[in-house]
Amino acid sequence: MQLNPSLNAAALALLGLSQASAAADAVPGWTFEGATLIYSEADGRVQAAEPRFRATRNWDSGRSLSMGLTLDALTGASPNGAAPASTPQTFTTPSGNGSYTIAAGETPLDDTFRDTRVALDASLSTPLGRRNTLTTTLFASNEYDYLSIGAGATIARDFNLRNTTVSFGVNVEQDRIEPVGGAPQPLSRMPAEGEPRASREASVSKTVIDVLASFTQVLSPVSLVTLTASLSKSDGYLSDPYKLLSVVGADGEPLRYVYEGRPDTRLKQALYGEYKRFVYDRDAWTISLRLMSDDWGVFSQTVDTTYRWNFGARDHLEPHLRYYRQSEADFYRAALFDGEENQIGEASADPRLGAFDAITVGLKYGHTTRGGLPWWVRLEGYTQLGRSAGVPAEAADGLAKFDLEPELTAVLFTTGFRFGR
Amino acid sequence: MLSRLDEGGYAFRFQAMASPCEVLIDCDDAALAARLGAIAQAEARRIETKWSRYRSDNLVHAINTADGAAIEVDEETARLIDYGAHLYRLSEARFDLTSGVLRRLWRFDGTERWVDADAVAAVLARVGWQRVRWDGRRLQMEPQMEIDFGGIGKEYAVDRSLALLAAAAAVPVLVNYGGDLAASGARRDGRPWQVGILDSDVRIQLRQGAVATSGSAYRYLTHAGRRYGHLLDARSGYPVADAPRAITVAAPTCSAAGALSSLALLHGADACRFLESQGADYHVLP
Repeated sequence: MQLNPSLNAAALALLGLSQASAAADAVPGWTFEGATLIYSEADGRVQAAEPRFRATRNWDSGRSLSMGLTLDALTGASPNGAAPASTPQTFTTPSGNGSYTIAAGETPLDDTFRDTRVALDASLSTPLGRRNTLTTTLFASNEYDYLSIGAGATIARDFNLRNTTVSFGVNVEQDRIEPVGGAPQPLSRMPAEGEPRASREASVSKTVIDVLASFTQVLSPVSLVTLTASLSKSDGYLSDPYKLLSVVGADGEPLRYVYEGRPDTRLKQALYGEYKRFVYDRDAWTISLRLMSDDWGVFSQTVDTTYRWNFGARDHLEPHLRYYRQSEADFYRAALFDGEENQIGEASADPRLGAFDAITVGLKYGHTTRGGLPWWVRLEGYTQLGRSAGVPAEAADGLAKFDLEPELTAVLFTTGFRFGR
Repeated sequence: MLSRLDEGGYAFRFQAMASPCEVLIDCDDAALAARLGAIAQAEARRIETKWSRYRSDNLVHAINTADGAAIEVDEETARLIDYGAHLYRLSEARFDLTSGVLRRLWRFDGTERWVDADAVAAVLARVGWQRVRWDGRRLQMEPQMEIDFGGIGKEYAVDRSLALLAAAAAVPVLVNYGGDLAASGARRDGRPWQVGILDSDVRIQLRQGAVATSGSAYRYLTHAGRRYGHLLDARSGYPVADAPRAITVAAPTCSAAGALSSLALLHGADACRFLESQGADYHVLP
């Protein structure tokens, strides 16, 4: 609600003014931010370059418009889901018109993987009175086989002279996926190259609805806490059309390959808590904990902490440590035992649905030029250690000779800058 | 008096309107900071002198000793009177420019000294804006009535000083007169000014706009087990029970912020409800 307009006008009249120079937090004008992330997995796996650009316009009225552009270029190889084998393995490419062969004992990687993504977003924040802010967002992203569009709205209300903020938001996203070669039938056999294939749906879709409620409280002059609860419901085609599973015999060797299949709904709940504290009148320490669980059986915990050390008037260093632990989805299988694909409705060997621990260690250096323009660089190392899960008991001995959960390491380098006005 | 601040910039401090006053100036130029400080000090002293009810050489004295005659006022005083009249209506007569005489009855020193009804009634007979004739230029009051700008003068001085400083130089400044404050914009590095509220952990982040606090943390009395703050309800002549100890309000101007915090205190236990009805951005120390 707006401050009593007649009182406001009376106070301005007292000062001999006719209208307010409205209280606005941000300096009016344009601000531009740019950043580029280089992501590189070890052993020639995924390499990505992701430039991002953002332009923000603030107005005297407190209104602001922010527009972002993200480009994402990926190359390299990613696991196709099949298990290693003692002999070379040949896989048909998704189009059905080609194949690639993996050496004995190696984790099968699909190196036909290549993608460019373009994402755009725009959001408008409007103050409603002195204490409420409504933010509406539109976003879209496009890849050669994927189109995603969405919209959201968040209302935030300040209390206690902005010492307390409560917000509530809803996002709706609609995705259309046109997989190369169509969307395969879940758990159907991967045909050999050139083999006639069952008809497939050329286009599939999914809908995601997110709801979140957030509470931020200033605890003292130097500390604040944020709590966020969120709920996310996905409906539609949630599988990865390019992921496979090995169907193995008792010796652990593959008999054939089947396409993965996931449930067509997913309900996620997450709780996030963050505590930020200013230290020595100079530095800032942040620690956060996130808990997520879903009806696929995945439960994850994340602990993340950063310490911003402002060692000079215009320089800072920020070490970063993150630990992530996840349990596997109920339908996660490292491989299927012969015939099992006909008895179950859902299975996936996607490592992202497996059980693993991940650690990120990073360091950021930031500098503000004499002219007041900040730039920064950040280097991070990521290590993912799989924990064995989803191994069929009948083939456990046969599969034991393979590394089913190879360690994944990646290096992330980011650099960014901001200029404005 | 000019002093350097640890976080950069200067503070200029002086005493005026019975309060410690300071102006924070975020610049590296000591001469400029001293000049701006002097502008603020001169304005605070001018306002104090012009509308003090303790002097015998100003317009307020002339009005209060007119003995029923109409007094013509200057344009600036007319604006202050108009503002007081607006607050009278907004507060439904709880706030009244003519209620200053009631204050002589009361001592808010933490004791239980209560004033009996006859004494209050006798003074209340000399209070009431509805009995004043005000045409926007000339003010005419009954003999024995007095006018008092004490409730709005300090906040007005904050707003006026800030306007003068903003016109004099394009550097970020914060004006703080006895806890009522206003800022012209964020500090040079973009961070907000950090302002503490008396007796509380709450920290205000102020970039632009104003904040005023009204309270009775020290100036109160107790009667029949209830706590009464130092603001008097002009309708009854009595202080108001069960008000919060302090109310801080943020608003575009210090005058509006101060009015809301004072009027809220006059609503006693209903202070928060009043602030909500006004769309105020506030913090309450219960």
